[in-house]
Amino acid sequence: MLTKVKSFGLLGIDGFLVEVESDTINGLPKFDVVGLGDTTVKEAKERIRFAIINSGFNYPQKKITINLAPADIKKEGANYDLAMAIGLLGASENSIQSALLFERNKDIVFIGELSLDGGVKKVKGVLPILISARKLGFKKFVIPKDNLAEAGFISGVEVFGVSSLKETIDFILGRKNLLPVEVKDYQSVVSTVNDGLDFCFVKGQAKAKRALEIAAAGGHNVIMIGPPGSGKSMLAKCFPSILPDMTFEEALEVTKIHSIAGELDYKKGIVSSRPFRTPHHTSSTVSLTGGGTFSKPGEISLAHNGVLYLDEFPEYSRHTIETLRQPLEDGVITVARSALTVTYPASFMLIASMNPCPCGNFGSKDRECKCTPHQIHKYLAKISGPILDRIDIHIEVDNVKFDDLRSDLQEESSETIKQRVDKARQIQIKRFSNFKNYCNAKMSVPATKKYCKLSQDCENLLRMAFEKLKLSARAHDRILKVARTIADLAGEENILPEHIAEAISFRSLDRKYL
Amino acid sequence: MTRKDFLTFISSFDLSCKKLHNLFDFFDQDAFSFDVVFDKEFIDIVGKENINKIQQNANENYLNKYKEKLFDKSIKLVSFEDNSYPKKLRNIYDPPFFLFCKGDLALFDDNSIAIIGTRMPSNYGKIVTERFAKELSVAGIVIISGLAYGVDSISHRQCLLSGGKTIAVLGGGFDKIYPSEHTDLAREVSEKGLLITEFSPSFVATKYSFPLRNRIVAGLSDGVLITEAGSKSGTIITKDFALDNGIKIYAVPGNITSPKSEGTNYIIAYSQGQCVLSPNDILQDFGIKKSSYKKSLQLSIDEQIILNLLEDGEKNVEFLFEKAKMEVNKLNSLLVSLEIRGIIKKMAGDVYSTI
Repeated sequence: MLTKVKSFGLLGIDGFLVEVESDTINGLPKFDVVGLGDTTVKEAKERIRFAIINSGFNYPQKKITINLAPADIKKEGANYDLAMAIGLLGASENSIQSALLFERNKDIVFIGELSLDGGVKKVKGVLPILISARKLGFKKFVIPKDNLAEAGFISGVEVFGVSSLKETIDFILGRKNLLPVEVKDYQSVVSTVNDGLDFCFVKGQAKAKRALEIAAAGGHNVIMIGPPGSGKSMLAKCFPSILPDMTFEEALEVTKIHSIAGELDYKKGIVSSRPFRTPHHTSSTVSLTGGGTFSKPGEISLAHNGVLYLDEFPEYSRHTIETLRQPLEDGVITVARSALTVTYPASFMLIASMNPCPCGNFGSKDRECKCTPHQIHKYLAKISGPILDRIDIHIEVDNVKFDDLRSDLQEESSETIKQRVDKARQIQIKRFSNFKNYCNAKMSVPATKKYCKLSQDCENLLRMAFEKLKLSARAHDRILKVARTIADLAGEENILPEHIAEAISFRSLDRKYL
Repeated sequence: MTRKDFLTFISSFDLSCKKLHNLFDFFDQDAFSFDVVFDKEFIDIVGKENINKIQQNANENYLNKYKEKLFDKSIKLVSFEDNSYPKKLRNIYDPPFFLFCKGDLALFDDNSIAIIGTRMPSNYGKIVTERFAKELSVAGIVIISGLAYGVDSISHRQCLLSGGKTIAVLGGGFDKIYPSEHTDLAREVSEKGLLITEFSPSFVATKYSFPLRNRIVAGLSDGVLITEAGSKSGTIITKDFALDNGIKIYAVPGNITSPKSEGTNYIIAYSQGQCVLSPNDILQDFGIKKSSYKKSLQLSIDEQIILNLLEDGEKNVEFLFEKAKMEVNKLNSLLVSLEIRGIIKKMAGDVYSTI
């Protein structure tokens, strides 16, 4: 007898409905799964067979066929195990069959991986599935108990957690009553990344801190240049502590991606602090961009709404760096493979750090650089113009003196800086109220023209700067955007000459560095 | 074929200048035919290693193509026999026979000084070079250098920036500027000043061609100024050449602990050249009156604080922040505006210095 059970699969960061159709006929015992499943799906039949037997049900000694519809979309992973097992039992046991047809159970979506003993194990991507399914009008879900925390922030749906196949069947048959998960308040879990890192532990480096404050306030990308040991990594690691808190929508987006990648903290269920990702410079291009045989979001998507920190920037392969161009511009990455094309969100702030030359000491006050001019040229040329075009703020960092390290002088804490950042962000939210997640760094050319009007004084200063300091043309809009943020931090409505001047001080790579 | 055409033809083969002088001393007639390249005397002078190439190409077609190339690239060929050949260069040992030129030939006979030094100057070397290049070029003296990294390119750039005239001498042909990063600079020099080389356009610079270039740099100038140089470098070769040919040497003293100033300090210590402390020391020798450089600057109190801190040498931004005791955003904008006004200068690593 044919049964149809609902489940969901993942395509990019969205879920799609999969109908699990099961049927049995008399014949030599055989189990076929059709519908373009990957190896994990094909192997499900072994898990299902033993899960059914070990849960105390009868395994039908018949020819079994399960179809995953739509049959032309590739299905990956073990999400469908539970739905397949229930469908199969329904096809062979009349009581379950009729229960499935019963109004109450008709539109339940089943998600879960089975283990041989009949237990239900956690799976990836529950949150995006719930969100997509809710859009399609589904209201009732049975998911693994371990995934329940993820469901705790979705309102308007009933989500039940199960820990075994037996429990699921009892629930369907009405023998056991389960309570839907309670919806939690996002505000109660929201937190700023801290990990004990705070700007008050960074001694000296006033200019670099100021630059990072501006970057946080306006969402600007940053590159730090300095000799080894000057504290670039420390500065970058402290950076998330001054970023504004994520809104619920932002947090959901981030959680979706982390859920798909299987990087979610299953106890917590939501990513409530801005992600900070630091892929190593030997990372492959695919691991950064995402995609691959098992389509999976890459590091840049995991850094969505957060920070991507690339240490030793020129050491990344040229190809890898260049792939960042589209996401830095559009905030998404589209990965096309022969089988499918997926788009992942990738709206991150880039913080890159690099040495000024191969030996690292060029421009250092205390140590001598041993590199030839040609070597330095070559090293700096690894960062191409188009990439530099997308980085608004350049910081030069030098070693901190020993006295500074030992000083007891109280440095400003991240908390204080964050308050200023929040204030500046509020101004931007008001300014760009018609746009979603907008900040100064993302202003388009017309928006820059509109919101970065310059007085005559500013115009003159900018012109002089271009002539005297030999700035490259690409610096122009960058300076305006950064100046806008500086003005916002100062609470000024108009950009003043001192804001322009400060913005120029963060464009050192545009000038003749040698 | 006229003598001039024959000279042009020969200039394409980059023969050594000794051979060229011998060759044209011997063949002093006014009219030539291509058959002359098969003469025994010609072969003897030119030498076996070059003769095949010359004989193979001894035809009208090759010459016309070559002349066209020179014309297209607006390269002027000046030979030892021309009137426009720089007079100063005639007096040196081993003067180049041909000069390929782009730009204003009149600069040859102006008052000129060569500014040379290390390819990797310290911040001190950069500041000193800029200061001298600026003031000397403002005083109307032509700045000559070799378009290399470091002191050379700083001199050219500063001179062009101050609206002065500069001559750059290349160590290779015009087709491929070395170092390639200076291609733009070379173009600017050829437009606003003069770019010269003794090598034909297709000649690629070699290890040996740079010392040859140095003798022209020194030979063309009325004095050689060394702003910063280590004890072993191309600069020292130029200095020795200038010494041998009686060209005056000026050297800027440096820290005795700095290896980058060993060369200049040696010159001063052993009286090979004059120790200069300011551009005026050189201007006096040229009979140019002391320039009234000290401008009256309009400075705010905060700007004065920064300048006072920079008085005893370069400081990085962290130091300034600590000592000036002002808000970091204010400091940032003050530094930029002082720099735009040309009062201070920023160097790699966010280090500032007065000019």
